[in-house]
Amino acid sequence: MDPDNEKRSSGGPAPKPPNWGLAMDLGLRLGISVALGLGLGLIVDNWLRTSPLFTLVGMVLGIAAAMYTIWDVARDNMRK
Amino acid sequence: MPEEEGGEALIHVAIKAEELFQLGPLMVTNSMVGALLTTLLLLAAALWITRRGTVVPTRMQSAIELPIELMAGIISTSSSRWRGYAALILGFFLVILIANWVGLLPGVGTIGIHQVVDGHEVLTPIVRPASADLNFTLGLSIVSFVMFIYWGIRANGGRGYLRELLGEPLYMAPLMFPINLISEFSRLISLSMRLFGNIFAGEVLLATMLALAPLFIPAIFLGLEFLFGFVQALVFALLAMTYISTAIAEHHAGGHDEETDHGATNGHATPTPAAEAATHA
Repeated sequence: MDPDNEKRSSGGPAPKPPNWGLAMDLGLRLGISVALGLGLGLIVDNWLRTSPLFTLVGMVLGIAAAMYTIWDVARDNMRK
Repeated sequence: MPEEEGGEALIHVAIKAEELFQLGPLMVTNSMVGALLTTLLLLAAALWITRRGTVVPTRMQSAIELPIELMAGIISTSSSRWRGYAALILGFFLVILIANWVGLLPGVGTIGIHQVVDGHEVLTPIVRPASADLNFTLGLSIVSFVMFIYWGIRANGGRGYLRELLGEPLYMAPLMFPINLISEFSRLISLSMRLFGNIFAGEVLLATMLALAPLFIPAIFLGLEFLFGFVQALVFALLAMTYISTAIAEHHAGGHDEETDHGATNGHATPTPAAEAATHA
């Protein structure tokens, strides 16, 4: 019998397969978070004519969101 | 979609799905034909397996069941509430898998209508893989985005979900709310852009190889695209599953998981289909 099946049939929890998708997702989300913050800042600046105030605020928030995403994913995985 | 012009091979793959004809108010594009073909193939497979499926599977039945068994095995290990979202994740996986592989069928991208655009003759393919259109991938991402918000609200309650978005402590909300909002929306964009980018890049690669070396070489890249199509479908489904199971786990981290607790008190973990099958074997 396959060792995995043997382990499962004995009532233990099924082993979790590695989540490659999550690793592929992180890199892209970092870039997108910064771009999203920057884009929103630019839109608000164009609308209110306050350039470059909200562009800078949006960029800082985007970078912070990128950092937060890493921390969030790491925390969730350490919990498991 | 390579084109010949004045004896020189030009490569042209439109980033936007090409319009074929108008059906009332609806403009039918070639990626819509690809999506329709995907749906028909899945429907045919579903009808075939429900009518001709046997306990001892034939080769055809095994080929249809294989990806479903693979995904069911993975989903069942994600959380104790996996039964609630298993159908959605399986649906994502199968639709994306077939949509990606439709692009590898003979004639897709090469059979089309010749149109004159800006004085140049352009071939508009009748079928384009649906996942090489951002509208399709964005649509799937929006569905998964709504579903993981739904599961988050279902697990935490409306207030709990809002509290999570506002962050803790509450006086940090003006800073944490936009950060959380950007982080949430980055999931939606990354899901759709990754799938679209990979499949569209594959289409461009195939067209380039076909123009540069029409014999044998494209076969290698067709094999690679076959593999990438599978990997991208798996990645999309796994990420959607991870987001949903994380939304549920956030609730359980603070509270109790009824199903797991129940299983633990009985001395049994929640059985997975693979475990059940192994036990029965």
